[in-house]
Amino acid sequence: MSAKVSSVGTLTKLQRREDVTPPRMYSSTLVPKPNTGLIGAAVFIVSESMFFLGLFLAYFFMRADSTIVVRSDQPVHPSLVLPLINTVILAISVAAMTFAERGIAADKQRHLVVGVTVAVALGLVFMLAQSIEFSRFATQGFSPSSSSFGSTFFALLIFHVLRVLAGVTFMVIVLIRSLMGQFHSWRRTAVQACTLYWYFIAAVWLVVFLVLYTS
Amino acid sequence: MASVSIPVAKPGLLSQMAGWMTTVDHKKIGIMYMVSTFFFFLLSGIFALIIRLQLMAPGMQIVDQNVYNELFTMHGTGMIFLFIIPMLVGMGNYIIPLQIGARDMAFPRINALSFWMLIFAGVVMEGGFLLGGTASGAAWTAYVPLSMKQFSPQSGMDIWLFGVVLLGISSTLGAVNFLVTIYTMRAPGMTMWRIPIFTWTMIVTAAMVLLATPVLTAALIMLITDRNFSTQFFTTANPRLWQHMFWFYSHPAVYIMVLPAMGILSEIIPVFSRKPLFGFKVMVVSTILIGVLGFTTWVHHMFVSGVDPLVERFFMFTTMVIAVPTGVKMFSWIATMWKGSVSLKTPLLMCIGFLSTFVIGGITGVIQGAIPIDMQVHNTYWVVAHFHYVLFGGSVFGIFAGLYFYLPKITGRMLNDKLGKVHFALMWIGFNLTFFPMHILGLEGMPRRIATYAANRGWDLPNLIATIGAFTIAVSVLVFMINFIINIMQKKGEIAGNDPWEGATLEWAMSSPPPVYNFARTPVVESDRPMIEIRAKASGSNAPGHTGSHN
Repeated sequence: MSAKVSSVGTLTKLQRREDVTPPRMYSSTLVPKPNTGLIGAAVFIVSESMFFLGLFLAYFFMRADSTIVVRSDQPVHPSLVLPLINTVILAISVAAMTFAERGIAADKQRHLVVGVTVAVALGLVFMLAQSIEFSRFATQGFSPSSSSFGSTFFALLIFHVLRVLAGVTFMVIVLIRSLMGQFHSWRRTAVQACTLYWYFIAAVWLVVFLVLYTS
Repeated sequence: MASVSIPVAKPGLLSQMAGWMTTVDHKKIGIMYMVSTFFFFLLSGIFALIIRLQLMAPGMQIVDQNVYNELFTMHGTGMIFLFIIPMLVGMGNYIIPLQIGARDMAFPRINALSFWMLIFAGVVMEGGFLLGGTASGAAWTAYVPLSMKQFSPQSGMDIWLFGVVLLGISSTLGAVNFLVTIYTMRAPGMTMWRIPIFTWTMIVTAAMVLLATPVLTAALIMLITDRNFSTQFFTTANPRLWQHMFWFYSHPAVYIMVLPAMGILSEIIPVFSRKPLFGFKVMVVSTILIGVLGFTTWVHHMFVSGVDPLVERFFMFTTMVIAVPTGVKMFSWIATMWKGSVSLKTPLLMCIGFLSTFVIGGITGVIQGAIPIDMQVHNTYWVVAHFHYVLFGGSVFGIFAGLYFYLPKITGRMLNDKLGKVHFALMWIGFNLTFFPMHILGLEGMPRRIATYAANRGWDLPNLIATIGAFTIAVSVLVFMINFIINIMQKKGEIAGNDPWEGATLEWAMSSPPPVYNFARTPVVESDRPMIEIRAKASGSNAPGHTGSHN
């Protein structure tokens, strides 16, 4: 038996295989571990974008079908003022989250707190502006139940603003945790995931805005 | 001296139950998936038996036609959403971390969440039927306008929609978990071409779930708001929007149901043929191809819905193309058995059952993929025969193959092989008795989803045979349950040991059942079939048990 073992190399009974193999080969603690949480968030965002793809499918289906009279109830030229302001708001909040994330990557706790606070505030302003927008549409007789086109139009806006709510909730949690000093440069997966999700929300808004208001 | 006894009493029933309910261990969750989905299988099977009794002879009325509609709806959705998909997810849950040498899934708590959401959804879907006497009667496709308030006013429809939304969220979270687990938690040395084939099929399956399910979820939410909050998504004269969104999920769902079963087959056939899988890389590539092409065929369900003829032709083409990677797999499995040292144990018999029936389902699929034929057989029993050959002949045979193969690992006890063979023989005969005559019924023009039929159509005999077949299947499942109760629950079966089948993958390296922590030391993978080396080292021999490699 021992003769067979020696064929592997210079193993003796006391030496285990691991002791003669380069450490990288067996010890998963020595190689940088992949950031499971961040990868999970990215994969989840893929499914989120498929959800919006489904809603866009419905929207374009209504627009492409000549038997459906679209936009009969929509204001012919919906005002671009509020959505443009909202785009700027989201752009600034994205910058704030980036500032926060970069900050904690360099162990600057204050940058994290300031950045997330600004992003939360801007997220709240965005939701407020959207609710003003909805009620303005409603006074013009354009609502989710006014027509098939209205349903798909509002589905995109409402499901987006629900994501904003989810994102803001996530950011508030990150804010509370950062006030408790839970994040460091080597421990910031939640911040990274939150930032990524916020990027996604902003990107969806850009597409929603371009498609619903300008095309 | 009277020792101070440390309270290590056997945990009582309550604390054991609490242990199961709060567990985040992938093995316990996997077991709970398998047990609970088996109950949904039995329930949906009973629905099927009532349907078959009603159709046994012309003019029979065991249940009235509305209840009949609810029965086949709940049979279909129960079998698809609450049995086949989650059963395969449960097997993956148990096996995948062991196969890749991991201690658990990447997100154990999300794993538990997925499971409990499935149970909640299942109880919601079935509960409306069993407790409230109301269920969806709009078939599993829930086409609008049939599923709108106007034609389906019963609350069972809303309950059903709500249940399917929950299931969608559950399986989306599960898919994220599987993908991240396999991507980040493989044992060192497990490179791309060393990932076991079952794990590969779960990667593709999870990717399909991830991409397809949210679209269905969106459609379901739209239908719920149409029914309850006066939105107007599906009220237009054009009903195709629902069909597009539904089939965008539900055609890939066919592959979601069959790919993991194919993965199980690809694990079992080499083990029982004592040969490596023929064309391992080709198998992986064909799995990925099926996954990609699976997203390009959904309109073939809508050839009579008035889609643009040019679009129809494109989807006819893709429907026929997807048969190619599937055919590649068939040849690979046959070539694996070819000149192998084949041992006809129950797991392999179930695999052969898969091959012999799935090939018919595949061929009828290509036949009805042709637009003119599809227009002829659309909504007839031909289609029912076709998809049962795919989903029962394929997935369910694959599931039972997997159960016979993996239950010794999961429970530590072997199932009785003779009873297993009886189960296989009865199920194979019963299956073909039930579903082969349906091809004839369909070509004779019998529409699906009818509660009864007249006597003078020439449909009597095939229907009678189908009913006899259905009860034969029921008996075969009883044989399986008896086998399980005697040998596993009452522990009369042989002790399995670590590696009863001489498998090729890491799960056979550990005890049966595996310890809570799986691997005490992270294993190092040095080939595509690590058990060959582990066995060789254990027996002190340099000559592997059976030589050859995928590469």
